[in-house]
Amino acid sequence: MQAAAMDPADEPPAMLWGMDPIFSAFARLFVRDILQMTESIQVPGIYFYNLHPIYKVDVLGIVVYKRERDDFFCYGVDDGTGVINCLCWKSNLLKEEEDPSKSGTKHSDAAEGGFDPVAELRKLRQKQRKRCHLEIGELIRVRGPVKTSRQQREIMASTYYKVDDPVMAVQIAWMMEVPQLYRLFYDKRFQLDVAGDSAETSLSKATNVIKDFLKQRLVAKFRPYDVQDLLQPLISSRLQAQEAVAGPSGCQQLNQLLKEVLQVLQDEGTVYRKVKSQDEVYHVTIQDKDLLIAVKDIIREDSKREKYAEKGCHILHILSAVRQRYSLNVSKAALELVLQTLECDSDIVSTSDSHYIAF
Amino acid sequence: MSMLPPTAVFRLPWEVDSMTEGESVRTFGRLVCYQPDESRATLTAQHASKEHRVFVQTQFVEPFNPIIGAQYLVLGETEMYEGVGVMVRARVLNCVDGVNTALLQKAITEQRSFFAERECKQGEVTQPQDVT
Repeated sequence: MQAAAMDPADEPPAMLWGMDPIFSAFARLFVRDILQMTESIQVPGIYFYNLHPIYKVDVLGIVVYKRERDDFFCYGVDDGTGVINCLCWKSNLLKEEEDPSKSGTKHSDAAEGGFDPVAELRKLRQKQRKRCHLEIGELIRVRGPVKTSRQQREIMASTYYKVDDPVMAVQIAWMMEVPQLYRLFYDKRFQLDVAGDSAETSLSKATNVIKDFLKQRLVAKFRPYDVQDLLQPLISSRLQAQEAVAGPSGCQQLNQLLKEVLQVLQDEGTVYRKVKSQDEVYHVTIQDKDLLIAVKDIIREDSKREKYAEKGCHILHILSAVRQRYSLNVSKAALELVLQTLECDSDIVSTSDSHYIAF
Repeated sequence: MSMLPPTAVFRLPWEVDSMTEGESVRTFGRLVCYQPDESRATLTAQHASKEHRVFVQTQFVEPFNPIIGAQYLVLGETEMYEGVGVMVRARVLNCVDGVNTALLQKAITEQRSFFAERECKQGEVTQPQDVT
């Protein structure tokens, strides 16, 4: 319905189609929508659902119609919202009809015992053939591009197979999942955000620069002016871009950016300030050996207590202990990183999402 | 080119009775009775402390292996029979014993509410266009 109402002039330009992630995916649309979406005027074979360019789809349904030709099967697939023809080419493997006399003699070979690769291969092919040969009433999954031939829309299967679904688990899961896909993706308009988020990307870029530096050099602690120069190139390029516009000086911008980056790193727990004083020293959480040892000791000691012996210590319990004994400024995010590191080193074991134990 | 059958939309078993003749439907139920001489099967489903029956004409899907007490999925067209009411002439009759009927019901209502929601939204979108 939706697609039929679309004005041809509204068709997004072909240049931009590739920017829409749905274009290169097999869209799990309802058959009803596949039958109703409008074909592109610019490029036949491309269709639009809600302005999303679509050319290949993924469908699950019951076979309600079947016709066999030398080279292909034609299956009518009903997913409860519509029925569509699926053209399923037979692979060469399928076309090779088995010679009954041959298979008879081979069979006796296999009966002698031992592993017979020829017989095994034949069994495999038989299995595969069974999966491609469907009867009415069986469940099929088809993926492939949509074609319109003789005014009829159909799917040219690039893959298709029979789905074993004795208790309808696959069908139910599909019925629950597809509306969700529509709500999250297909029914949302695709918009290219060209402008607007450049400030945000420069912050994430700067954050990554600092993170890489800390990781490569195994920095344990630093002061802001130690890393300031790393961000200089980002500021210079930004200044070049907006040369003519009057605004804050390069130095101010640099300070501002650095402040924001340090805030992000603290929020993530990557760095923390052990002591809050005039001297701005940042400790890199996972490089702080003293902190790691302190946390490990807390868990080891408390795991011996009867209260925690079975379940382990809760993360909030560890957090308050660390704050009491080590530093008031350790954040939960920082502690989580420490716990992760300790767990990777097998110093501690997690007993649940938020409980840890040490032996 | 090809003669595709009409879409068999999911209906809950207790909704089948109110359908008109010639509609395509897919529904489910527990097989309680099969009369091979009349090609007639009966499915039942519980809903709101009431037992609902779906009568199925099995001529097109015979021979099949009737498992009394098992859940079945049926897909076919409605027909009116005197003395019986609505009967589904089955094109497909699959044993799906072990199916989680509660979850299946949820999936059916989920799909319906999705379509209702979408149509409602489209109504909102097209209305202002009509005004201008």
